[in-house]
Amino acid sequence: MPADYLPILFFAVVAVVLSAIAVLMPALFGPKRPTSVKLAPYESGKLPIGPARRRFSIQYYLYAVLFILFDVEIVFLFPWAVVFRDLAPRWLGLAEAAVFVLILLLGLAYVWKKGGLEWE
Amino acid sequence: MAIDLGAVEAQLSTAFPGAVVEREGDWLVLDRDRLPSIATYLRDEMGFDFLTHVSASDYADHLDVVYNVYSTRPELQGPGLSFKVRVPDRVDARVPTVTTIWKSANFQEREVWDMFGIHFDGHPDLRRILLWEGFEGHPLRKDWHEPYYEEDNKPFGSRWPYPENPRPRSAEQRVHWRANVQYPQGFDPEDWDLGADYPPLFAPKVEINGIDTEPVYLNVGPHHPSTHGVFRMVVGLQGETVTNLTPVVGHLHRNHEKIGERNLWNGNIPYTDRLDYISPMYNEFAYVVAVERMLGKEVPERAEYLRVIMGELARVVNHLLTIGFQFNELGAMMTPMIYAFTEREHVLDLFEEASGARMMHNYYRIGGVYGDVSDEWLARCRKVVSRLDRKIDEFETLLTDNEIFISRSRGVGAMSWQEMVNYGVTGPVLRSAGLSYDIRRVEPYSIYESFDFEVPTYETGDVYDRYRQRIAEARQSIKILKQALNRIPATGAIMDGKNAWNVKVPDGELYSRVEHPKGELGFYLVSDGGTNPYRYHVRSECLINLAALEAMSVGHLLADAIVILGSIDITLGEVDR
Amino acid sequence: MDWVADFWIPLIKAVVVVLVLLLGGAYMTWGERKICARFQVRYGPNRAGPFGILQPLADAVKAIFKEEIVPNHVDKIIYVMAPGISFAAVLITFAVIPFGPEVDLFGQRVGLWVGDIEVGLLFLLAIAALGSYGIVLGGWSSNNKYSLLGALRAAAQMISYELILGISLLAVVLLAGSLNLREIVDFQGTWPLLVLQPLGFLIFLIAILAESNRSPFDLPETENELVSGFMTEYGGIKFALYFIAEYTAMVVNSAIVVTIFLGGWKWPALISDLHPLAGVGLFLAKVLFVLFLYVWIRASIPRVRFDKFMRFSWKFMLPLAFVNLLATAAVVAFL
Repeated sequence: MPADYLPILFFAVVAVVLSAIAVLMPALFGPKRPTSVKLAPYESGKLPIGPARRRFSIQYYLYAVLFILFDVEIVFLFPWAVVFRDLAPRWLGLAEAAVFVLILLLGLAYVWKKGGLEWE
Repeated sequence: MAIDLGAVEAQLSTAFPGAVVEREGDWLVLDRDRLPSIATYLRDEMGFDFLTHVSASDYADHLDVVYNVYSTRPELQGPGLSFKVRVPDRVDARVPTVTTIWKSANFQEREVWDMFGIHFDGHPDLRRILLWEGFEGHPLRKDWHEPYYEEDNKPFGSRWPYPENPRPRSAEQRVHWRANVQYPQGFDPEDWDLGADYPPLFAPKVEINGIDTEPVYLNVGPHHPSTHGVFRMVVGLQGETVTNLTPVVGHLHRNHEKIGERNLWNGNIPYTDRLDYISPMYNEFAYVVAVERMLGKEVPERAEYLRVIMGELARVVNHLLTIGFQFNELGAMMTPMIYAFTEREHVLDLFEEASGARMMHNYYRIGGVYGDVSDEWLARCRKVVSRLDRKIDEFETLLTDNEIFISRSRGVGAMSWQEMVNYGVTGPVLRSAGLSYDIRRVEPYSIYESFDFEVPTYETGDVYDRYRQRIAEARQSIKILKQALNRIPATGAIMDGKNAWNVKVPDGELYSRVEHPKGELGFYLVSDGGTNPYRYHVRSECLINLAALEAMSVGHLLADAIVILGSIDITLGEVDR
Repeated sequence: MDWVADFWIPLIKAVVVVLVLLLGGAYMTWGERKICARFQVRYGPNRAGPFGILQPLADAVKAIFKEEIVPNHVDKIIYVMAPGISFAAVLITFAVIPFGPEVDLFGQRVGLWVGDIEVGLLFLLAIAALGSYGIVLGGWSSNNKYSLLGALRAAAQMISYELILGISLLAVVLLAGSLNLREIVDFQGTWPLLVLQPLGFLIFLIAILAESNRSPFDLPETENELVSGFMTEYGGIKFALYFIAEYTAMVVNSAIVVTIFLGGWKWPALISDLHPLAGVGLFLAKVLFVLFLYVWIRASIPRVRFDKFMRFSWKFMLPLAFVNLLATAAVVAFL
């Protein structure tokens, strides 16, 4: 029921307001004496070598792609899990889910074999 | 025991007629122009594969570059060959590099260039190492004077030059020399480009899996939590993999050697404490051994035992601390480190009672030690030693079989001992790669010959073996300590003769090395017969072990590079001097 | 509309729970310092008040009155917002966790939970995932290499372990037949799910350690390589927010572990049936136990390396979680 979410909304509002206050509060207190050194990026006490945002090799971007795949599949499994006890012949439900999961795992095995889970 | 210099000279002269220009005491003066080919011959034909020390010395009319080479061949281990080349031209001083033959010369030649202005032809990366690029002059030359220059030798006269006026409260602030920094001609610190002190680093794009990527260069240090002080590495990263790594040192430089030249021979003893401040006792040990070798001085037996006891306690503490720091780098949130520090406290209690100081002990003396210890002290020391023995077992129980530790350290930073020898790596790191080379055995000093101990070795030289090596060496030190505490004479002198305030060392020069907990700590001393060293050089094992850091780290992850650095075990006080 | 039951009580509950969580997070920092110190033969904070009990307050006051530095190379709006997102997400996660039964308080029938919704578990997963935005955005907007590396690691790590978290929870849903956390607690009246799902519990525990960036999986901030990881450029109150978000997340995650696997306020029934408030006490005690576990792990073992950790996730944990799921389903189907 939507009304069930009302307390959560209250809770969320309280939490967000509190966070916002905390983030914005120090603007009122505390000294403000910026210097160029204070405002420089930190790189172990030296001037940074080149900018931080470059075309940078991310060895784990493939994980992100994989994650999207698997996460979507898992969402399908939640309704199945909730009603699993009420399925007429349970073994059929099990078999269906098992096929589904096995196909998923097959995909994982393929990526594994292809070296997608390795680091360069 | 000394090397048969005549035979070496004869062999060299046959291979290279006229190669040996002159023989000067225990040193051969070699032909400067043919140095690379002579050096190759020394390394390949005569077995001197281990260049541990390169330095220089300034005499009024010429400069000398000195080299000390040793051999790792079992039959040749022991005293090595000392040779030098002479540079007559002070203005355009040039010597061919030996970096191509012994990579250990790399940092040391850079240091000589930095301090003496001797240009090494063919050196791959001849930049200043301890001072900053753009520094005026070469400070270890005798004619270089710093802004607060007073006199060449201690003791100084009155620091305040106007005796008729009352002394101001803070001489430093109102000093009549005004500025305490001198700059090169035309140099303005305000518009100095701070970023200019690293080589051009913007490497081209690399294609990985059909995607263009650019390497990222990252400063790790000087103000970084795990570089053991103000050490800086410029790390090139491809993703998180290290593609190149340049160590940058010198942030803590204080020209130890120039100050050491002005101190009295005695006055340098407390000064060596400031080198490796983790195990100051052993630094003093190294220094007094060197001076005693110059003097030919005998040390009373009880004093020798006390020296060994202090030195080996320092070694155990050093190894435990290193293991503790190592785990801190592995992210164990300080627990092993603080356990190690707990043990250190017990040892420091002993040091404090014997010497009066917990850290800067100033305990060793030329010809003996500063103070005797009581029987209770020895009894307490025995207790501490057996406690350390137990605690090493405890460390092993907690750490050795830790799954995460093994998975992070096995195969990380592995290097063969042959390569390590070429890089000049010494100490536990070298032995963990499989070479049994311990100066306490190959060139014994003090009374180490009379003790029964082994030189443990491991095989691969990776971070895990270095850890096990340190544990094994700490156990051997315990073994030495137990023997020493049993056999120490009940009474006896602790000084050879009177404790002299001032020592005059006869003319001569020498390189003397000992097995410091971190590696080979050597002192190169030159005396002109006076009360101060004419030249005082510290062969810093920390600095030279760092030379291998890049080769060990490339190809590993950034996290591993940090761990490898920790396992090399450096102290910035000694690296930067 | 019943204003008292539908408006005031939820609002008061929300404010009280947020404040308690805040205090819990703050005192968790103290607790961890204190417990770690005892592991390491130290005293820990002992200057501010007896046993250093005022230390979190002192830290908070210090953070508030510190100079606010917003470096001039950052994306200002995102940079300022990111710690807030992290913190708010952590707090909101707690909204669906029941911490006690229904009780009579001041003449009103009050359920000791904030929200009681049918898809509580999904809500939990969804909001917990939001927390990683705070970290990734913070690291990205800082325009600093350490931060960027930390943020990228955080992203990879959190998504990998979220997957495992979800799969290990599927087995729980299978057994309990509901996504409602209150019903999951009711299901554990006789035995906690830990007994039925020992493997699932371990998988969940590891995944939630990873999800909340706790040692030995604190790779996004790895002090020893990345200085402070994603929060390198943060100082003052913003750093404090990240910090307290991390510790509040520990409290919240412990509450989740307790609710799902340790019977919440229910088990053992002997105690929780005495008085409703005894159930709350039981819940708290369990949460404290799990928190102690967190600190214990942190004080004892070194950190894993990132690539191995990711490999561990995809090559070991993921198949294992699936096996656990299918085995559970098979047992439910045939028994």
